Parts: sequence; structure tokens; C-alpha cells
Amino acid sequence: MKLPELKASQIWAIVLIGYLIPAFIPLGMNPVISQATQTVYNTIQSLPPGSIVMCGGGGVFAFDLESSAGLIPAIQQMARNGVKVVFYPMWIETMQFNKYCVDSARVDEKYGGPWKYGRDYVFLPYIPGNEVGLVSFMNDVKKTVSVDYAGTPIDQLPLMAGLNSYKDIKLWICAEWDGVTILRYVTGQYGIPVMWFAQSSAYAAYGSYMSIYPGQIYLTNGALGGAQYEKLNGITGLGHAALDSNVMFTIMFVGFLVLGNLTMLFGEKNVNRKVKT
Amino acid sequence: MISVDPWVWLSAILTLCSFSLLYGDNKFFKFAEYTFTAVVIGHNVVMGYFTLKSGFNPLFTGQKLLLIVPLILGLMVIFMVWRKYAWLAAIPMAIIIGVSQGITVRALVSTDVMGNVKAVISEGSNFFIGNPTDIVGVMLRVVFTIAAVSYFLFTFAFKNTASKPLEYLRILGKYVLLIYIGIYIGNQSMQNSMLATSAINRLVRNWLGFG
Amino acid sequence: MSTMDSISRLVRTRITQIVIVVCLLSAAAGYYFSNPQLDAFNAELNLWNMDIVIFTLFIGLITVFFSYSKSVSARTSEWPFRLYALVLIAAWIVMGLYSGLYSDTYQTAYLSTKITLHIAILGQLIFFYLSAMYRTFRVKTLRTGILVIFALAMILLNSPIITSNWSPADAISYWLLNYPGMGGARAIVLVAGVGGIILAIRILMGLEKSALRATGG
Repeated sequence: MKLPELKASQIWAIVLIGYLIPAFIPLGMNPVISQATQTVYNTIQSLPPGSIVMCGGGGVFAFDLESSAGLIPAIQQMARNGVKVVFYPMWIETMQFNKYCVDSARVDEKYGGPWKYGRDYVFLPYIPGNEVGLVSFMNDVKKTVSVDYAGTPIDQLPLMAGLNSYKDIKLWICAEWDGVTILRYVTGQYGIPVMWFAQSSAYAAYGSYMSIYPGQIYLTNGALGGAQYEKLNGITGLGHAALDSNVMFTIMFVGFLVLGNLTMLFGEKNVNRKVKT
Repeated sequence: MISVDPWVWLSAILTLCSFSLLYGDNKFFKFAEYTFTAVVIGHNVVMGYFTLKSGFNPLFTGQKLLLIVPLILGLMVIFMVWRKYAWLAAIPMAIIIGVSQGITVRALVSTDVMGNVKAVISEGSNFFIGNPTDIVGVMLRVVFTIAAVSYFLFTFAFKNTASKPLEYLRILGKYVLLIYIGIYIGNQSMQNSMLATSAINRLVRNWLGFG
Repeated sequence: MSTMDSISRLVRTRITQIVIVVCLLSAAAGYYFSNPQLDAFNAELNLWNMDIVIFTLFIGLITVFFSYSKSVSARTSEWPFRLYALVLIAAWIVMGLYSGLYSDTYQTAYLSTKITLHIAILGQLIFFYLSAMYRTFRVKTLRTGILVIFALAMILLNSPIITSNWSPADAISYWLLNYPGMGGARAIVLVAGVGGIILAIRILMGLEKSALRATGG
């Protein structure tokens, strides 16, 4: 029996159907909490009320959407526990991403939440220069940034009174694509722990930093880690939606892999050849 | 229930225009492409304006007049777009390159290079500590790191008999990198899957109101 | 050679190299040596660097404006789309300056256009990814076999359908990523770090001119 090669358009049609199924009918997959996600949750939970946490990095919004699944429940957790957050945008889209996450978390008093702008959280303006801006900020906050996103002098914001340099920062949370810059400088040069809600590919590529700075850096694994964090905070969101489609993706991946190899075996002449490895 | 929000409709139309590329290059995809380009440039300009206001606030309020120098240097950067006067942008670009490279290199030395070397050495000295899976794992980690690094050693040619062990180490390194790339591909695919989920959910749930 | 050409040549070669050396050495030395004057100089230099970088955000507008307007006036192919893009850029700038970066209007517009498009463009990759995988992940050699096995392992062990029905899955995937997988990850980070250091040395010595090519250097 000769297996035909599937055309690209046929594969795409199957993939589209595969992703439409969980979109129309949620499968209700339940995440299993991993050790790394639990550690990140416990670290944030253990912060005393009034602690100042920096949240930021440099990212592309579309990629960072994956890690927003973890950041949004983390913002809710910090708001519940009285932790103060300063949002630090290192790339030009990060400002919009930070606002998206805070609005989605609905922690501001305009949504009935506990946070008041200026007292509990502050949006800094875009700080250019990437690592140069970061180093300048860590050494002297007031010299690097004089106003917030809206042009209000930071001296007029109560939260910024307690933030002068890296010595006042308890923890740095990163949910952005360029988290490795944060790891290199914030932990590497200033010794501040970093919790990175990493994208899946970043988790694979930069997990080694957890062994360079053991106990100071923890990464969660993309949308799956985000789903786990949502479960720890008792909410469902993008992470849970990603779980359902992940199931379909797994089925399609295995299916196409097996089909491709069967096509290789039965779809053409099976030629014996020695291949140098 | 289908959405009546015009922004949701715009979002859905643009998503469908983008997905139309699967059918082939067409006018709808071009419309989406040029919309993307225009919004990116527009956002850069808006962001640039507000960042100028905040960044040069000490100059505008008279607190720090020295900032006139980076203001002039910054204006010189813009001459990069004219070939005849592009040389004016050389000095500010040199400042950008010099400072960023100087700050980058100190992080690379202390974290990426020395940090990893220190981690390998400390793990090598703790080979037999922990439960059996951890011991095996740490051994694999140390040996695999050394093998994979040796794969990138192109400075030396391995030709004589004495270099045979190094040649085998390089071959092991090649397979170690293949293991890592396989793991990376697995994780990367989950990332792409999530983005497809987001795009399709916006259409099905936000726009059409299902799910 | 005219006076302007001589000045431009001097700037592009000698002066640029001197500026790079001073900035690079000062920024790097500031981490290893504690000196109040050096720290103050570096702090000022960092601020100047940040302020100069802001102006690079406007270069895209100038480049696209000249390129697209030339195309529109010459009526080349795609000129209607380019005209539309120019109009949209102008409208977007006016909207952004009027409403502000953090306003709900701007945020909604940004999410509904650029972010939606970016997610859709990146999300499409899964289609190409799976069709390419169907064709290329065919186990003909040991190398492909290893690649396929570990990719499959990560996907299966992270899949909720496996993790919710088989408890060791999460621990196994964590072990694979943090022990055998980390060998390769570490090597790449380490070697890339060495490459970055060598690049900085080459820039310091004036051997690497690619970054300044746009300025005629």
C-alpha cells in the first residue's frame, strides 16, 4: 500500500479544525502544579506588606501575551497582600503590556480593587537604552526617571518616596521576552531575586541561569506555567485556554509525526543506505 | 451572540486578513501588512514624543542645562537617513555603541561566562550528593556541558592520534546539542501553539461569542 | 578632497573610534573599579546614551515617509497601500498625541490593530510549523531520531492530557530540561557570551565596523 504525501493545504485544514474544536468547546483541562510554579507563588506570597516589587523588562507584546497568563494572577496576588509594584518598561511596547495586565487583573480602585495609583502602583515611562537604562535606574532611580508615564513628578507619588536605588527593591518580576537582560543585571550585578514568567522557548534556553544563581532565579514554563499560576490563584484565563488547545496540538503533532514516518516507509522505495553519523 | 463592538470587528477583520496568507499572497494580506507597518511607525513616533518630554524634563524645567548636549547629539542621529550627511550621526552612534557594549561585556563576563564555569565546577565537586536521579543528572549535566562547549572549539584541528579523545568528545557534544535543540523545538512549538490559540479564540469567543 | 569631505572622514574614522574606546572602557571599568569621579562620569554618560536613543524612534518615520511618498508619486506597484499607510501613520500620530499613550482609546486601538495583527502573523506559524514538521521529522538517521525523540518527549510530558493522568510526567520533563537539556543550553549561553566579549574587543580595536555602516563608517 502506497501512502500519499499530504499537501500543505490539507495539513493546514486539519490544523485549523484542530484549533477550532477547543475554541468552540472548552475541554476543561486541569493543570498540574509544578515545583517551579509553586516556588514562585510561595516567594511572592511570603513578601511582607509594603514591600516594593519591580515588574518589568523588555518585550514584544505578542510574545509576552503568553506570560501574561502568569503575570495577571500574580498582580492580583500582590494586590491582595499589600505589596507595592513599580512597572518598568524597557522596550516601547512594554508600557501597553503593563497597562493591559493591570487592567485585566482589575486591581485598581476604579474596578473595586484595593490598588490606588501612586500609592500602590506606579507606571514609569519608557526608559530607553535597554541595559544602559536599567543600570542607570538601579544605581539612582531619581536621576534616571523624573516623571511617571503621565508627566507627574515622581516626588509627588508616595510609592516612589521609598524607591531610590536597587537597595530598596525586594524582588523583580519579569514577564517579558527579554528577561535574560533582567537576569544578567538585576540578579547578576545587583543580587536581587528574579521571578520570570518565561515564555516556553525562554524556559528551555535560559533555565541554566537557575543553576548559576540557585535560589535567586525561578522561571515558570510559558502558558502552561501561567495556567498553573491561575489555578493557584483560583482563576481561569488565557493559560487554561492554552491548555485545551495544547491537547489538540499534541494529538496533531504525534499524528503528523507518525504519518510522516509511515509515508517515508511506505510512500517511496525503501533504499538501504549507510549514512555517516 | 456576535459582538457589536467596532474594535472587536476591526480586530476580527484584521485577523482574517492576516490568515488569508494561507490561501496565498493577496490584497487583504497586503492591507493587513501595511496596517501593521503604519501602526508600528505611528506608535514609535508617539512613544518617542512622550519619552522626549519625560527624558528631557530636567532640561525643559531648567534643572539640568547640560542635557542640551545629548539633545544636539540626538538630533544629529536623525541625519543617518541622508547618505550625504550620515557622517553626522557617527558620533552619537559611537556613544550608543561604546556605552552599551561596555555595559554588556561586564555582564557577559560575570554572568554568562564565569557564572556558567563556576556552576560547572561547583557541580563537579558535588557529584555524589543527593538522591540517585540527582547524582546521575548532575553528572550528565557536567559532562554534557563540557562536551557541547568542546564542539564549538574550532580553533584547533584534531588530526593526530593524541587528539582522538577530543574528537570523540566533540561528537558527544554534537549529540548533546541535538538533544537540547530537540527540547527547544518542543518548547518553541508550545509557544507558537499558544499564539495560534489566542488568535483563533479572539475570532471565535470575542467576535462570534462562542465558547 | 573638499573641507567637508575631510571633516566627515575625520569624524567617521578617528573621532568615532576615540569616542567608542572612551565610552566602552569607562562603562566596563565602572563595574570593576570604585572611583567617585568615574562613577559620576558613567552615570552622566548613561543618561546621555538613553537620551540619544530616543531620537532613533523617529528614523523609521523619515525613512518610510520618503520611500512611500516616492512610490506614491511615481505610481509604482502597491502605491494605494502605501498612500493608505501614510494616511494611517498621520492619523495614528494625531490620535496618540491627543489622547495620550495610556488612555483607554489608545490602548484599545493598539490592541485591536497592531497586537491583533502581530498575534495573527505569529499564530500562523503553527500551520507552517506542523506542515514542515510532517515533511522533515522523518527518522532516517540517528541525529534526526534524537531530535525527534526529545522534541516529542517535551511535547508529550508537558501536555495536560498526560500530566493529569500520569503524575511522574512533570518530574520527568523537569529532569530532562534541567539535566541533559541544560548541558546544551549552558554551552550555547557560554559560547555566545564569549562571542559577545570578542565582539566588544573587536569594536574596541576598530576591527568591527558593521554597526557604523549606516553612518558611512
